[in-house]
Amino acid sequence: MTTTAERPRSDTPSLAFTSMTAWLRDIAHSEPERIGLREKEFGIWQETTYAEYWELVETAGMALRALGVEPDDKVAIHSENRLAWVVSDLAIQGIQAVSVGLYSTNPAPEVEYLLGHSESKVLIAEDQEQVDKALAVRDKLPQLQKIIYVEPRGVSTYDDPMLLSWEDFLELGRRELAANPNRFDTLVDGIDPVTTATIVYTSGTTGPPKGAMLSHSNLVWTAAEARSVIASGEMPDEIELLSYLPLCHVFGRLYDLAYGLAARATVNFAESVDTVVSDLQEIQPTYFPAPPRIWEKMAAGAQVRMAHASLTKKLMYGAFLKAGMWNADRILERGSRGSVGEAVHRIGWVFVYRSLQRKIGMSQCRQAVSGSAPIAPEVLKFFMALGVPIVEGWGMTETTALGTINQLDRIKLGTIGEPLEGCEIQIADDGEILARHPAVFMGYFKNPAATAEAINPEGWLHTGDVGEWDDNHIRIIDRKKDIIITAGGKNISPSEIENRLKVSPFIKEAMVIGDRRRFVSALIGIEFDVAANWAQRRNITFTTYRDLSEKPELIELIGKQVAATNAEFARVEQIKEFRLLPKELDHDQGELTATQKIKRGVLEEQFSEIIEEMYS
Amino acid sequence: MRGRPGLVTAYQRDMAIFPTNTQRVWFAAFALVMALLTFVLSDDLALRGASAAAAAVGAIGLNLVTGWAGQISLGHAFFLGIGAYTAAALGGETGGPLIGLGLEMWIWLPAAGLVAAVAGIVVAPIATRLRGLYLAFVTLGLVFIGEHIFREWDSLTGGIGVGRSAPKPILFGYDLSREGSFLGFTLSAEQQYLLFALVVLLVMGFLAKNLVRGRVGRAFSAIRDRDVAAEIMGINLARHKLIAFAISSFYAGIAGALLWTFVGFIEPRSFSLTLSIVYIAMILIGGAASIMGSIMGAVFITFLPRIVDLLSGYVPFIEDSPTGGFLTVSQVEQILFGLLIVVFLIVEPLGLYGIWIRIRNYWKAWPFSY
Repeated sequence: MTTTAERPRSDTPSLAFTSMTAWLRDIAHSEPERIGLREKEFGIWQETTYAEYWELVETAGMALRALGVEPDDKVAIHSENRLAWVVSDLAIQGIQAVSVGLYSTNPAPEVEYLLGHSESKVLIAEDQEQVDKALAVRDKLPQLQKIIYVEPRGVSTYDDPMLLSWEDFLELGRRELAANPNRFDTLVDGIDPVTTATIVYTSGTTGPPKGAMLSHSNLVWTAAEARSVIASGEMPDEIELLSYLPLCHVFGRLYDLAYGLAARATVNFAESVDTVVSDLQEIQPTYFPAPPRIWEKMAAGAQVRMAHASLTKKLMYGAFLKAGMWNADRILERGSRGSVGEAVHRIGWVFVYRSLQRKIGMSQCRQAVSGSAPIAPEVLKFFMALGVPIVEGWGMTETTALGTINQLDRIKLGTIGEPLEGCEIQIADDGEILARHPAVFMGYFKNPAATAEAINPEGWLHTGDVGEWDDNHIRIIDRKKDIIITAGGKNISPSEIENRLKVSPFIKEAMVIGDRRRFVSALIGIEFDVAANWAQRRNITFTTYRDLSEKPELIELIGKQVAATNAEFARVEQIKEFRLLPKELDHDQGELTATQKIKRGVLEEQFSEIIEEMYS
Repeated sequence: MRGRPGLVTAYQRDMAIFPTNTQRVWFAAFALVMALLTFVLSDDLALRGASAAAAAVGAIGLNLVTGWAGQISLGHAFFLGIGAYTAAALGGETGGPLIGLGLEMWIWLPAAGLVAAVAGIVVAPIATRLRGLYLAFVTLGLVFIGEHIFREWDSLTGGIGVGRSAPKPILFGYDLSREGSFLGFTLSAEQQYLLFALVVLLVMGFLAKNLVRGRVGRAFSAIRDRDVAAEIMGINLARHKLIAFAISSFYAGIAGALLWTFVGFIEPRSFSLTLSIVYIAMILIGGAASIMGSIMGAVFITFLPRIVDLLSGYVPFIEDSPTGGFLTVSQVEQILFGLLIVVFLIVEPLGLYGIWIRIRNYWKAWPFSY
């Protein structure tokens, strides 16, 4: 098997289980009645116990065997987060096959690339939309044998021998399981922890996505580590998680699947990306990880609604937000609020924080994490002021999302925190962060050159992030390849400026330009909802996104936000010119990755006229 | 699932009368306070309270047929009358010139409801044929027919200007109209009336709440919002209108029996169009399609004379003697009554309950405004 031995492993850590599937089996046997999953159907959260969860995994695993899936075969999952996703994933890993996750927003050409590159034999597709994408490109995918669809609507009328419904698939599994009741258990017992469990494709801000191979031991070690790190000792017995981060992304997989099992939590699947806000209010998760985009949006949402509140409410909120900010500073300085600060916080909790936390779904949250991209310190401080225990962490696909995190009593804003226990972190001479720990990935699938480039012979992973030590904390400067060197020879970190810009509720996207240029400029995309609301209140008429972006009043407003950002940066880093993007950026059109990161190269090419105009 | 009121895992909880324990505790506390109040209120206030509670039962009944099922009924006075006279006939003294069987309260109170319900069932088929204004007119006719019968049927009602006494409220040998002791406290007749009326209101209120949150109640709302659409959804219009009228009349019957028992005397002219209008006012001021609203409206209207009385002490041009002054108390009462209906319809169509909802939403949205 070529997938297992691309990197010599000197140490195999001691593991609680050999695979996540074995871990699930353990819970199903020791606490069968505990609620494992919840999925909303017709307005009600339908519950699945751990015992039922395990039975589904067993059934799906045997069904895959019946379809001819052998160890080391690849099975792709193309779906939003839902019960079928996690069941399939654990079933695939259980029969020693390899799971591959696809983003539901992946367009057909990317589906073709990912299925083809991973050599997937079976595809588990969510609905008609995803089935259609696969059918459109299946002629170029000779190894694809079967497509299983979860939602029958629209697909059940298709007459295609390649298609199989989820129900029929499970029925097949039930028959297979009845014939060989112990087969699945034997397969799970036979898992070698250092073989590939799953391939996670990186989002690919440059070039085609690379498939990072994660082993069973990577996942199990990560899960155990996450459990011991997350608010250790503070967690209640019943932990509620909201699964909305894409499961095919390592961040989502770590928290919803790995940590979810390790903590014996209940994983609630969000209805869709659009309903996250209301789902949050209902679930009030105990632990909540989110990328900066979500935190920015939540903060902006609260601020916009607050701006429309009545005077009493505004005054109350203003006073206690100020008190909260004062408290946040105390936490940052000395690690806790202290007795006076605590008293102030309690009063504020009665009047403002409690209800506000409820509105944003953070009332039961013991720890919240921002990760996957740098976040502006102002946003973190806003949530700290409301009493949400939020910290920034850092990890990447290649480290199974583990790396560093700020401890609640030792938060340093603007840093990604301290290395986790068991994680070795180093900063190379050129400033690049190097990582070595048992969750560092096995290598890129079918790409030994890239693997060799990423992991050096001593096992250190080159993360591609440039950073520096700040006592025990690490401050990230930027992605190595994103750092701008102006014509004057000055090094500038664009993401720092971009994040400061995105603190404004009116700004959704920002791309700072200036590499080998005379000065720094920026392309800015407005947050349409907020800007539209603002315009309506001022009686500015507009029709489309583009029309609104061209309104002089709006350009003036954004100009003020840019000026406010500039005030916080050195002269050479200040944005001298900016333009508003004429359209909303989109994954479908290749402007964003599936995780909503901007693809700089694509944007620079697409908007080259606008950019040149700024420099002419 | 503590601290997560929004995490609903079963429809039972979604439809619960008290979705959270907090609400249950608040309601229990409120009920306890009301019960304790009966021990300390003056007789005058206790009697008014008892009348308000009985009127609330009637208002809930009218709200079921008008507020939920959307069938405008001006005939509520007729059903109240049937209840009152059924009670009087069954519970009245035997051997007198008037019909009287001398039965106990546990028989005549439910019977008053049942007889009124039967009358409702008889009327209901008209409602399946008529809508809106036409139905209102037919039910108006009902009041006139009722008034005529009550006036002419001397052996039942005693006739105009004579009337008859109300039935004796004797429950399993215990006479509520006589001073008695309860848990070591001495309770006057009025206080016992209030206690009894509150219990009846509690039971009838919960029954109504259960009805409207269930299948039948949802069918009522569907019929109110658009009867054609409701029928297309498979709701049997004739059946549900029948149910609405029957249950509404049952509530009216109970309310009529209780109210006039508390007053002690039944005069045939009481059951006029004005009485119907008073009940319509209760549900409009209180809040259409709301149990709490019905109760608030009934309490408000019943206590209106007391409020005006209080005003007369402070406002110079209101006199409480029937002749002197610029305005008499009863004139002010009439004016206020009319004014309130107009103001509520224009400013707060959801009634007192709507005001309560707005106060609640203010705190619910805190610290936002929406």
